[in-house]
Formats: sequence, structure tokens, C-alpha cells
Amino acid sequence: MKASLKWLRELAPGSLTDEQIIDGLTAVGLEVEGREKRTLGPGAAQIVAARVVSREPIEGSDHLSICKVDDGQGVHQVVCGAENYQAGDVVPMARVGAVLPDGKAITKAKLRGVESEGMLCSARELGLGDDHSGLLQLPKDSQIGQPVEELLGLPDLIIEVNVTPNRPDALSHVGIAREVTALSRGALRLPAGAPREEGTATSALARVDLEDAAGCPRYVARIVEHCRIGPSPLWVQERLAGCGIRPISNAVDATNLVLLEIGQPLHAFDLDKLAGARIVVRRAKQGELLVTLDGKERALHEDDLVICDAERPVALAGVMGGLTSEVTEGTTRILVESAVFAPASVRRTSKRHGLRSEASHRFERGVDERATELAADRCAKLIAELCSGTVRPGRIDRYPAPKPLARIWVRPARVSGILGTPVAAAEIDERLASLGLVPVGGDAERRQWEAPPWRGDLTREIDCVEEIARTRGYDTIPIDIPKAGVGETAARSVESSATAAARSALSARGYDEVLNYSFCAEKDLLALTPSSSGVAKTLPLRVANPLTVEQGAMRTSLLAGLLRNAHHNLARGSDDLRLYELGRAYLPRANELHPAGPLAWPVDEPRRLAMLALGRRTMRHWSLGKAADEPLDFFELKGALEDLLESVGAKAATFAPAEAAAAPWLHPAAACAVFLGGKLVGALGQLHPEVAAHFELPAATMAAELDWEPLVAAALPVRKLHGVPRFPAVGRDLAFVVDESVPAERMLAEIQAADDKGLLESVLLFDQYKGAPVPAGKKSLAYALRLRAEGRTLTDADADGLCAAIVQRVRSALGADQRA
Amino acid sequence: MIADLQNLLAEATAELSTARDQGQIEAARVKYLGKKGALSLVLRGMGKLAAEERPKVGELVNTVKSGLERLLEDAQRDVSRQSLLAELQKPKLDVTLPGRTARRGHRHPVSQALDDLVEIFARLGFHTATGPEIEWDLYNFEKLGMPADHPARDMQDTFYLDMERAPLPPPGSPPTEGAQRGLLLRTHTSPVQARTMLGQWPPVRIIAPGKVYRCDSDITHTPMFHQIECLHVEAGLTMAHLRGTLDAFMKAFFGPSTKTRLRPSYFPFTEPSAEVDVSHPACGGKGCRICKFTGWLEVLGAGMVNPDVLAACGYDPERDTGYAFGTGIDRLAMLRHGVDDLRLLFENDVRFLEQL
Repeated sequence: MKASLKWLRELAPGSLTDEQIIDGLTAVGLEVEGREKRTLGPGAAQIVAARVVSREPIEGSDHLSICKVDDGQGVHQVVCGAENYQAGDVVPMARVGAVLPDGKAITKAKLRGVESEGMLCSARELGLGDDHSGLLQLPKDSQIGQPVEELLGLPDLIIEVNVTPNRPDALSHVGIAREVTALSRGALRLPAGAPREEGTATSALARVDLEDAAGCPRYVARIVEHCRIGPSPLWVQERLAGCGIRPISNAVDATNLVLLEIGQPLHAFDLDKLAGARIVVRRAKQGELLVTLDGKERALHEDDLVICDAERPVALAGVMGGLTSEVTEGTTRILVESAVFAPASVRRTSKRHGLRSEASHRFERGVDERATELAADRCAKLIAELCSGTVRPGRIDRYPAPKPLARIWVRPARVSGILGTPVAAAEIDERLASLGLVPVGGDAERRQWEAPPWRGDLTREIDCVEEIARTRGYDTIPIDIPKAGVGETAARSVESSATAAARSALSARGYDEVLNYSFCAEKDLLALTPSSSGVAKTLPLRVANPLTVEQGAMRTSLLAGLLRNAHHNLARGSDDLRLYELGRAYLPRANELHPAGPLAWPVDEPRRLAMLALGRRTMRHWSLGKAADEPLDFFELKGALEDLLESVGAKAATFAPAEAAAAPWLHPAAACAVFLGGKLVGALGQLHPEVAAHFELPAATMAAELDWEPLVAAALPVRKLHGVPRFPAVGRDLAFVVDESVPAERMLAEIQAADDKGLLESVLLFDQYKGAPVPAGKKSLAYALRLRAEGRTLTDADADGLCAAIVQRVRSALGADQRA
Repeated sequence: MIADLQNLLAEATAELSTARDQGQIEAARVKYLGKKGALSLVLRGMGKLAAEERPKVGELVNTVKSGLERLLEDAQRDVSRQSLLAELQKPKLDVTLPGRTARRGHRHPVSQALDDLVEIFARLGFHTATGPEIEWDLYNFEKLGMPADHPARDMQDTFYLDMERAPLPPPGSPPTEGAQRGLLLRTHTSPVQARTMLGQWPPVRIIAPGKVYRCDSDITHTPMFHQIECLHVEAGLTMAHLRGTLDAFMKAFFGPSTKTRLRPSYFPFTEPSAEVDVSHPACGGKGCRICKFTGWLEVLGAGMVNPDVLAACGYDPERDTGYAFGTGIDRLAMLRHGVDDLRLLFENDVRFLEQL
């Protein structure tokens, strides 16, 4: 809400300075967010109303004219490029020596060889808005030579007040002025209402039928006849323009002026265009159409509340008027509508038609039912003044069920209890009274108050507590720390320590954490299931109203974001990437973690960890030379994941070749599934070529995605520690030649299975070799075994026995031969 | 023979005085003390001596032997010292060459801030609660005092979900027809408040950090951002406790000299409500361009839990009172690190991430 300080001072006279008003309003919750000086600047005295005496085109110029202009001190010759004026018009002239608000100094000048002594100005050149279509036209009866600033009622300071939705009363100058009077302890000077009336009674000139009292609790109409429609006086135009409303015509401007003043939205109908001189307030009917003032034809909905004449809808109640009954130049008889419409109804209509107006904004929040008469009177009076019209006697007032004013019990003890500081009953009385509440009964323990009609937000004790708190200032509330209760001190959960451990493992391995939007392009998600994988695509959940199609689908995988990040970074020259993200995926299926009941989670939102690696295997270093340029491979990513699992303490993880269904986004030749306790929890590997192509990434891009909850569940909350062995270990190396297709994990499992006495302390695969002399189709795997017995020194015989058992077992199970 | 022995000592002294390396010392040791060395040779002649001369010669032999040993020892020490001195004279390593480092990974500034906040509130006695990001209208709006058509809904532009692909709601879950337009992306973390209070009795002392969504995108708004919500409901809580908790929180996050200020405002789920300003960490509250020369920045919305919200969750507002506040983690992180374009946070450019 933009408000004029000058206007506020008229309503709330007092000695507060501008700064005191601004700071005071912010302190009581009407935050002043911005301010704008309305002035013609320090040189304003030399910008005056001047009459154009003559206008002649300059030869050889298509737009410049030579004008003779009278500025009250004499007639000057001025060259002007505007089109919208003629001899006799009164316009602003900056005299020689004047300085415009933008700092431009006016000097004698020659244009096209013609002397020019001054400048005729547009609204924009005077800093009064954006209008630069021509000269600002001043009323013809303006006093010639009078500074334009005086004519406009300037200077003024416009403040932008952030009015919260609970305070519709503050969407007007009177409402804000009430807060100013509460600050200054002054009295509010309400604008004069009652107009001079004559002629036929209003009730004989028109009829109002309220068919939907729920949608329209009150409807007041006033009639002004013999109006002459034209532009408003300058001061009216300036008041509206200063507050952000475009001046239209005197009658319409009068309604807007009262809207800004009292907060009651009003509408002026051309009474002659209302069929049957009737107003009917009802819901629209199926198939009814209305062309609103913005020129758009709107198909009405049966829930839309409309104002109709005897035949058809003429306005969208509380939102916008209709074109057919608009006040135009030829209008002489005006019906002023001052009504109250139900907030929810206005809001639905406004949303449905995508139409917001100063009126709908206020009706949605609630207007004062008891201010409609004052607003109607005030508006009729203004129209009569501005349009030289005659106000007809009386009002038509349909108000079937006046709403009683709220009565609220307030207990000083409760006020003190909420604010955490004692507040005396006398102070409470004084503060509530200053806001317009009226005491209606009670005793020392509690008092009953009647809320003023403009404060529909005050209905409960807590509302009054807030009023007391905000007017005395939040800085009066002391600082206190709540006591910690037994059992409230939060211990670190397994989840948070596991997450922290995982994060440090990832950091240590050089992985940067990213955070992506939870929504992404649907095509990116679908691309993670390449058609050649033969796996059915899962359709993601969709956002109904996304900002862009790139944010249209809820991610079913964190990879889409991560792969986009990789592409983004590669394009910007960062080509060694290790990225990870920890966050939720959103799956179109029921949530198993939070099953049925009123507190169910609507969809499954599993936490996931996704990783990506591409680029060099190691950092470049002078000692490595070209060796550092070796590209990273699958085992870089797997190693990082193994480090992570180790740091979390999830020791039960196993790896196996992944089926396409488990990870269709992986290259079938380098796809690895991860199991925890035998359950599939994710996969890692090299990107499927189609996926890499979709995201425009190099073939050797490695990625992983794992479910996070099972990993946390497998984490060790506390690690048990053991002493160190007291007896020496024996080391033995064994090498085997085995079919290439035998997975290393199988070999390891067989080696371990051969150890029936528990002597095998560790097995390290220290070499894998293919090529001569190893036969084609075979590979050599070499293991360093460490053997140790508990409680005694291991003998050579023990070691030889175990090695023999291992050799025999891998031969019979996997056809592996010991390599000499 | 006696003369031979004495010559031996003199000869060895002369020879070892020129010894420069280990080889020469070893050669001398063999030459004089070896099995076939000079001293053994002399000893072999002992048998020819008269019995009365033997002790005298024997004594001399021992003297010469220990003399030789000492000579060798000294020479050995000299040579070791020489080689040590030579070692120390080796050409210097270029110690200015870069060391072999491992590339460190970096936390995302928002998740780092989130962790710090959880830690701060854990110390203040708050548990972490979570809730769904795809939420029912009921918990995001209605239970928080914002029924359908409430104008406060305009304060938060909402993303709704296309219900065509949504799974069937679990039995017993809230209705999705009519004015409640089905599922939405939560616009704040406050639904976790409602869920928590519907699931337990006071005292409640939780924080709810997480992602939230609003249809808005410019330099100061991203369609997804992070909030942390704090809720404390217990008999006897006052606005002073709200101020105290906020003060402790801001000091812990921005530093001990941080000041906080409350201004009246409006939120449907709190009353009285407040906007909370913090003294601008970058300029130390002195005023600068970013804080519009006020020295203050608005960082947080707070208030006493609206009694209607407590009642809607089955609590008795006469007995239990509470305070709540919520703030944008992204903004806190940016203020802390002095960044002013929010969009940087979600571009995930490693040149930005590497700086943390």
C-alpha cells in the first residue's frame, strides 16, 4: 500500500516528524518498505504554469514548433517537440535558470537556428511518472505563473507500507492514520461525509435486490445526477498517481480517491446503462458472459458473484466492473456502489479469472461493513464536487444481517504470561482504548472489550495480546533461555553420525557435494532407462504448475541432476570431477517407511546417495608426468564407495554384476550391484552409452546411486575394539590360473571357505595378469595370505595344510590351477 | 722380536693416518690383526723364545695389539665422520617443489550450514524431526490456520502435483478432493510442526530442517530452498523464551557479538508474530549497501504458536504455550559466506563449491 504522508497528516494532525511516523509504523508492524519523494526538485520555483499563446511549425522540421508562451512574467519564445497541445492550453514551463528533477539545467538555446527561452515539460520530465507521450496538461483555469509544484499539492513523501493479510484496515489512509494517532496520542480527523442533497429520492430512481446475502452482506447505493465527465483537478490526479493509481476521469477518480482514503472499494455505474435502473446481486448463471473493463470477455462460472441490471451481469462483484455500464464521457447519471462482498467468494472469482484489482485485494481480506455508508456519502459528495453534479437524497441500503461486533475477554495475567513480563491492567486498558476497543464490562481479573468494526482480525484474547505487545514494542520483551528438561538433550543419532562419517570419507576421496532441485526435466529421468536396456520406464510424478519444463518432473533418481552438473562443469572447463549428492528421490508409489494412517506420507521419498566421477585417476603432479593423465576407471568409484562403506561401518556390503533391471543406466559390461545383508541397495559402474550420449558426457563417466536408509541401518553405532595378536603370523603367496569369467569375489569366497580352522587372517589380491604365458581366456590371480593361530605359534605344517586345502578347493570348485 | 713389535705399531700408525675409506681400514685390519697378519706372524715366533723372555714379550704383544685396535678404532671414527661430512654436503633437494597432495572434496555451503544449525539446536535441547516434501494441503495450510481461500496463502506461491500419476493415498490419509487441490510441494517446513503435534503430547521441542518449494525465481528466490523450523511447546513458555532462544541461536551461528531485533508481523500460525532482524554480519551492524545502510537484515519469521493451531492438534492452549520460528538456511549460508546471488547455490559449479 502506497500512502502519502501529506494525506496522513491531514487525517492525523500532530507534531511527529516524517522519520518518527515511518519508524513508528514499522515498529508497530506496518513495515515501511520504501519511500519516494514527490517533488519537482530544488529548482521547482522556476517551473510554472504557462499559457501557450501561439504555435507555429518550424520550417524543415517534422516535429518541432515555435511557441509563444506566457509565463505570467512575459511572453517567451520556446521551441517544443510535443504534439498534444494547441494555443490556449496551459502547460508546465521550465524557465531559463530552472533545474529539472533529473538535474538538467534550462538555458537559452538555439534549436534549428531558432532561439528558445525555456522548456515545456511532460510528466516524466517533471519526475511525476512515466508519461512521456506529450506535455502535461494543466487545467485551463490555473493561475499563470504559479509554480506547478504548488498546483499539484507537492512536495510530498510517498511511503510503501507492507500491509500483512490480517490488517485490511491498514489498506487505506484512514487506517494508517489510526495507527499514527495511536503513536502520537492524537485524534483522528475523519473526512467530511454528508453531501448536500436535492431532488427526487434515490429510492425512487433505482432499485437494489440482494439475492445472495451470503456473498454480499451489505449493498449501499447513492445516485448523483447532472454530472459532467472530464479530467480531475490536478491535486486529485497527483494523489492517485502518487499512490500508484492511474487517473481516469473525475467520477472514477472520486471512487479511487475514497478507496485510498477509507479503504472501501467503490464502483460508479452509468445509471442510464443499467437496464430497468436495477441492481441485482446474485450468482452467475451457466453460459452468462461479461466483458470486463479491461476489454476481455469472460465466461462466468456459477460460483461467481455478479452485479446485474434487470437483464444481465454488469460487473464481477468486488473484482472488476463491466464495459457496458462504464462511466464514459457522455455519462450524466451515476449510481455509486458501496458494498461488502464475502472474502472467500471474491478470492475464488479473482483466482478463477486471473483478475486482481485494488478492490479484490481489499475484499479478499475483509472490509469494514459499517464504513459503507460513510464511503458512499463521501464518494457522492466528491463526484458532485468534481463533476458539478447533484446528489439525490438518501441511500439505498440493503443490510439484512448486521454482524455483531466481537466481544473479547482479556486477562492481564494471561497478557503477562504470554509476553514474559508483567503488564499492568491500566496499561492494557490504555493501549486497547487507543486502538479503538471499547470496554464493556468485567473486573480486576479480566475485562471484556468490544472490537472496533474496522478490526475484523480482533476476535480472541490472543489477538489483543498481540495488539498490546506490538504497541508497547517487542524490545520490551526480556530475554530468557528455556530450561533444559530431563531427557531432552538430543544425543547424536546413528543416522547423523553415519552421515557425517560418509561425508568425511567422500571429502577425503575428493568428492564435492552438490545440491540439485528436486524437480528436473522429465526427458532426463526417462533417459536413465535407455530403450536398448529393455527395461520398462517409470513415469515420474509431475508438477502441475512448473516454472519451466526443465523443472516439470519430480526426480526418481538423483543421477539426472548429477549428470547435468557434470555437463555444466565440463562445458566450463572443469574436467576432473568427483561429485556426490545426498537427498531424496520422489517415487510414484506408497511410502513403506510411513505406512497408513492420518500421518502417512503421501508418496515414497527415499533418501539416496549418488556419486559421479570422471577425468584423471590422480591429480597431475610433477613427479608423475604423463602417468597422471591416465583416465580414471570403474575401480576409482568402487574404491571410493568401499571407503565410504568402511567409514560408516557397513561391513556386510557385497558386490556382484548387476542385471539391467537393477540399473538400466549402466553399461552392461561395467555394471555392479551393491547388496547389504543380501538386499539390493544400489548400483555403480560406467554409464550406459545411450545415457552418456543423452547428457553429452564422455563414455568413461562412472556413476553410482544407493539407497541411504539401508546403509544407515547397517551402520555400526559403536565399534568394538580388540587387543593386538601376541603370536606371530605366517605369510604365504599363492597364484592361480582360472577362467577369465570367474569373478574375483567367487575366488575369494572359495579361499575363505577352505579355512575350516579359522587360521586365515587376511587375503590380499596383489596381482591380476592376463597374457602369455597364461593361456588365452584365462587369468592369473595372485594372493598374499596372512595366517595366524590364536593362542599359539603357527607351525609350517599348519600353513602348508591350509594352503593345500585352498589349492584343492579352488580347483574343484572353480577349475583354478595353482601357478608354479 | 721386540723391535719387530715396536716397528709394527709405528708402521700401522703411519699407514692408518692416510686411510680415507672403509676399504683401507679393513685392509689394514687384515694386514695387522688378521689370522695371517703381522701380529700373528710375530706370535708364531714366540715358541722359539726362552721361557723367561716370554712373559715380557707377551706383555708387549698385548700392548701392541691394543695399540693397533685403538688405531683402527680412531681411523674408523675418522672415516665415518668424513663420510658423514660428505653426506651432508650432498646437493640440496628443491624443497620448493609442490608436495604430493590428495584433492580434498568440499561440502555444499547449504548442507554445511544445515549441519551447523542441527548441532546448535541439539545443544539447546532440540530434536530433529522430518516430514514429507510432497505434502497434503491439510498439513501445509489447513492445520496451520490457512483454510482454503485464506488470503495468507498468497504469501506462498504453491507448486501443486499433477494427480494423474500420484499413487492411491494410503487408507486413513487426508482427503484430496474439493478445495484442497490434492498434493503439493510443501511451501514451508511448518507442516512438520503439525505432524509432530498430532503425533505426540507436550513437551515438544523439535527442529525440522529441509527442502521447501515456491513458484518463484529471481536473484533472491529459487523455486527450491531450505528452511529450518523450530517448535517448542510446553507449559509456561513465553515470548521471552522465544527471544532468548533466537538470541542464542544467532550468536552461535554468526558470532557472539551478533544482535537480534524483533518487529511485529503476521503469520497465520503464530500470534503474536514477529519478523526477526539480525545485525548484518558483513558490516558488523554499521550499515552498508547490502543492508540498505540500516545495519540490520531480516532473516527469520517467528512468534508464539497460535492457540488455534495448538487446539487443532488436540492440545490445550490454556495450559501449554509455545514458540516457533522458521528461517531460510540458504540465506543464512549466503550471509555467512558473503555471497549475494542465491542461484549460485544450485548451479553446482565446482569453481564455486571448491571455495568452501
